Amino acid sequence: MKSKSRLFDPGIILVSILLICAAVVLIWWPTDVYLMGISLAGWLMFSSYGIWFILAVIYVVWKEKQSKTKNN
Amino acid sequence: MQILETVILGVYLVLMTLMGIYFTKRAHSSENDYWTAGKSINTFVGAFALFAALASSSSLMGAVGSGVALGVPFLFAYGFGAVAILPFTLFLVSGQIRRSGVNTLPEFFKQRYGQTVQIVAVFIVVFGMTFYMVPQLTASGLIGSHVLGIDYKTAVIVLGIGFTIYAALGGMWAITYTDLIQGSVMLIGMLVLSLIILVQHDGFSSLIQDALATSPNFGDVTQPWMSYFGLFLAFLWFGIVSPSAVMRNFASKDAKTARRSAMWSCLLYLLIFAFGFIVAAGGASLGIADELNNQDMIFVSVIESYMSPLLAGIMLAGLLAAIMSSADAMLLAISAGVARDIYKEYINKNASESTVTKIGFVVMVVASIIGIIIAINPPQLIAIMVGWVGGFLLSSFGFPLILGIWWNRANKAGALAGMLGGAFTFLLLVITKPFSLVSEPIIAAPVSLILVICFSLLTQPPSLDIRNQVNQYHSDDDEKSNIKKTVG
Repeated sequence: MKSKSRLFDPGIILVSILLICAAVVLIWWPTDVYLMGISLAGWLMFSSYGIWFILAVIYVVWKEKQSKTKNN
Repeated sequence: MQILETVILGVYLVLMTLMGIYFTKRAHSSENDYWTAGKSINTFVGAFALFAALASSSSLMGAVGSGVALGVPFLFAYGFGAVAILPFTLFLVSGQIRRSGVNTLPEFFKQRYGQTVQIVAVFIVVFGMTFYMVPQLTASGLIGSHVLGIDYKTAVIVLGIGFTIYAALGGMWAITYTDLIQGSVMLIGMLVLSLIILVQHDGFSSLIQDALATSPNFGDVTQPWMSYFGLFLAFLWFGIVSPSAVMRNFASKDAKTARRSAMWSCLLYLLIFAFGFIVAAGGASLGIADELNNQDMIFVSVIESYMSPLLAGIMLAGLLAAIMSSADAMLLAISAGVARDIYKEYINKNASESTVTKIGFVVMVVASIIGIIIAINPPQLIAIMVGWVGGFLLSSFGFPLILGIWWNRANKAGALAGMLGGAFTFLLLVITKPFSLVSEPIIAAPVSLILVICFSLLTQPPSLDIRNQVNQYHSDDDEKSNIKKTVG
């Protein structure tokens, strides 16, 4: 794989999404808004757990499809 | 002494040691077997082993304790970075580093940047991993002294020797299979404890109300923003920069297995943090945070308050499992660093495989002794010590490793400057304390990044062979040929 096309590697695309999600939480940082008595900043971090797992599943499926296509 | 809990812990320790003895012959048959379990671990076992290696005492005792003491958003910040460890590692290094065919992280640095970088990397691994033993030993000492009724110092020594024996005897084989058991005990234990707490509080919503009624600050962000950001950064990178976690990739059968193992262990880690939230709420509703001398003991108090002695014994064994499964992986990383990357590489190139594994054994014992001596008077709370190790490894290894995989132009000078500059900046910030706790990598890691890029661009590019090697990390060719080349 050449250096230039690495920018479009599933890993780089998904790591960018992960970092954007994290940045939204850390920049927004709504500490004074509360849901069920817990700060919304906390809930946002908690809800990220599910997003991280979904991104991992997308990556594995994407990579396996990619190598299947190449093998075919 | 609590008899039933002591018996369960005793049985558990004996079982783990027996597994070490069972795997001794296979582990000592070759270096490849000792350090990477013959590169033959499948997805199921690999996922549990990776999960157990990452879910240390910090994930359980430290996160729950700090969630109760500093407000549950602090626990969420742990998981925010920690659950992301697996996808982050998966996206950037898992497949590529498995494809490189090496056995240890310093060996990768040698393949990519040359011998000097490898030697610096070994020193960083040995220093970082030996210090990382300290929070694990501290946690095992706290549990041991509480359950066995012996003093903290004796508990640290007895339990420290316990996990050193099976790790040293059985190498990666024993570690991987004991991790499978330890990971399962941890997960099931947390699930059962969470269910008991939910039932006793009549459901989730009423549990949170109870927690807030007893601890009004439970839902608040109590620390400066920098602390949450620093914690997120240090944990996010842990899978990439921690040699004990990276070595799990090398044990996988192939790159596809390495990827799938990381994906499933992400789910396991997610569940641990979801259960941790419920346990922390249960702890907050007990209102015990201010009564305890050591906030790291909150989790143990929660277990004993909600569970019967039998279940509490199993759960404490699960906690001990979390500690042991992380500490054994660290011991292996230290021993591989000294025996393989220094002794065989530079002192005695003709050393037989059995000599190298024997030296690995001795190194493990020495590293344990050093860890035990420091843990007798631990310098900080468990969570903070773990944050420091993560931050130190990120500041020194993070960018030399990532850019080594993804940027052909990164070279030896850049890697050396990044490693040394990042490590030095981190240590300087820890000593001078200009910022809030565990926020040091926010400064030290970018310093390392800038140094790698600037020094690489200012010096000669790597050779064509190295650049081809980097391209090979990203190829989709069948890995088997690569493995044969390395093993044979």
